[in-house]
Amino acid sequence: MATLSPVSRITNQPAGIFGGGGAVLYVLFIGLPVLALLVRAAQQSDFLDAVTSDAALSALRLSLMTSIVSMAVVVLLGTPFAYLLARSDRLWARLVGSLVELPLVLPPVVAGVAMLMAFGRNGLVGSELESIGLKIPFTTTAVVFAQIFVASPFFIRSAKLGFQSVAKDYEDIAQTLGVSPWRTFFRITLPLAAPAMFTGLGLAWARALSEFGATMMFAGNLTGETQTMPLAIMSAMETSLDGALALSVMLLAGSILGLVLLGLLTRRRWQGRS
Amino acid sequence: MTIQTVASTASGWVECRVGGFQLETAWEVKPGQVLVLFGPSGAGKSTTLRAIAGLLRPARGHIEVGGQVVYDGKAGTWVPTHGRRLGYLTQQYHLFPHLKVEANIAFGLPDGRSAAGRDRVLELISLFQLEGLTDRYPWELSGGQQQRVALARALASEPAMLLLDEPFASLDAELRRTLRRELRAMLAQSPVPVMLVTHDREEALALGDSVQVINEGRTLVTGEPLDVLGQPGQGRVARLVGVENLFDLTVQERNPRDGTMTCVGPGLRLEVPLDSQISDSGTPDGGQDRVTVGIRASDIILAKEDLPGSSARNRLPGQVVSVESRPPGYAVTLDCGQPMRCHITGAALEEMGIQPGQRLWAVFKASSCFLVDQNRV
Repeated sequence: MATLSPVSRITNQPAGIFGGGGAVLYVLFIGLPVLALLVRAAQQSDFLDAVTSDAALSALRLSLMTSIVSMAVVVLLGTPFAYLLARSDRLWARLVGSLVELPLVLPPVVAGVAMLMAFGRNGLVGSELESIGLKIPFTTTAVVFAQIFVASPFFIRSAKLGFQSVAKDYEDIAQTLGVSPWRTFFRITLPLAAPAMFTGLGLAWARALSEFGATMMFAGNLTGETQTMPLAIMSAMETSLDGALALSVMLLAGSILGLVLLGLLTRRRWQGRS
Repeated sequence: MTIQTVASTASGWVECRVGGFQLETAWEVKPGQVLVLFGPSGAGKSTTLRAIAGLLRPARGHIEVGGQVVYDGKAGTWVPTHGRRLGYLTQQYHLFPHLKVEANIAFGLPDGRSAAGRDRVLELISLFQLEGLTDRYPWELSGGQQQRVALARALASEPAMLLLDEPFASLDAELRRTLRRELRAMLAQSPVPVMLVTHDREEALALGDSVQVINEGRTLVTGEPLDVLGQPGQGRVARLVGVENLFDLTVQERNPRDGTMTCVGPGLRLEVPLDSQISDSGTPDGGQDRVTVGIRASDIILAKEDLPGSSARNRLPGQVVSVESRPPGYAVTLDCGQPMRCHITGAALEEMGIQPGQRLWAVFKASSCFLVDQNRV
């Protein structure tokens, strides 16, 4: 392997000056608030009590449970959908593909209002759903709905790119070797697209955990039922800063853990070699 | 060596339409034989292989692999790719990047994890000299090793036919020759029909039992490699396989005693082998026989002086127009009334001190000339 000569390192001045300056500012900008959060939390005497309080634990439980359910739905339905989007170049597939981008640019609050208009008591299909005994708004189901709505594009986009990066030739070759299209999908396509899918899943999960606006509008803020971590932080801020701090640190720890897991899951020895 | 297959002839014909491109071709390959599909890129060679593999659906046709009809347009027969028992090798090999060498080879085996399956894999590993590499990922292998793994993988499930799509194109010349020899030896052991796509003349001659020249979706000629590629008999074929010198001439005189005829054209007079068809129709009926004569550049000798005492029937004086490097040698273009290309070695160029403007003689035997095309006017 050739190493960079010292000369080429010095001559790349834009990277050195612009990049270095940008890096310092960015690290300060992101690092300072995170550090402040940790410092303030550490100064708290009853930090452990706040973390283990009923309200905090129930919010944590609800956040984990709902996000796991919504991610399961997103992966199970989103994977075949993303595969279709990656392999089809028909007009309708491209149109549907751009619809996937909509939740990315739509403010979550608007998404919440829109879902109320659809599934709410006076919504388009709300009364029909209610007549068969399904009540969605302001229930835990609504939390899951909101999370799927805002988080699914992150997974589907990433999975689609992952599938697109798997050359069709691999699938062709596998089939000439006597392996059926279904087995080819599970033995070739899926493993090769997996790193991109895990990246997408990580981003979607983070987005689902941090979901606030749409949940607030569509699911409300009921402790133990619809009050997820972000909503609990907001409610806690109204009464005690300490509670909010404790919850925030918990979410921060979860995010860092998620980043590490993501790095481990998406690393492959063969990556970038196909 | 034990690559056992119940071999039967692979044959068929297809008509395919891919976008605006139309392909019409037919083939028949006996077990243990190699049919070379030869032609420029975009001619329809790979499309033919893909149709046989079931990777594209022909508009019409009939395809038989391993004694089984895998496609018949009229009867509506369609066996999907994974049911066709094929070995298909591509230029980029497409080894599965997430699987190690052993898993790549075992991929197509339905019983890859059983004792029999493992034996089969080990057998192929030793056949292709891949011992010690089984635990590597494809990118940790050299080009030649990747090629061997791809071939082992294709043969693992005992295909009834091998489809090789420019399998040596991304290797260097040296390695290409070695692998070509190995492939030849291996094919001798395993009597399956093989179709090989290439646009390398040397490869076609080295591997082909017969050659089919394809251009713009049509088969131009099928025959023995030396007949087709050595002295090709059709004008379009000659141009495709790169005959450097082609002259449009008129038959002036027939010399049945010598087995030659004299052909003339603007500034040019050549002795060429007498063609039976032309000698039969040789009665003077007012018409003239026009012929296209080909001479390979490597069949021409350059001399500083006329060689009157030699056996060569053609000795033409000319002036050097250009000297181009053409590794490993040089291409000299001589103006002998019409430009004539000759290939010589660097040593010869240096020894003779050949330079543009110099006067030289082009010398070649009558039998080095061959008829490419003929028609009566």
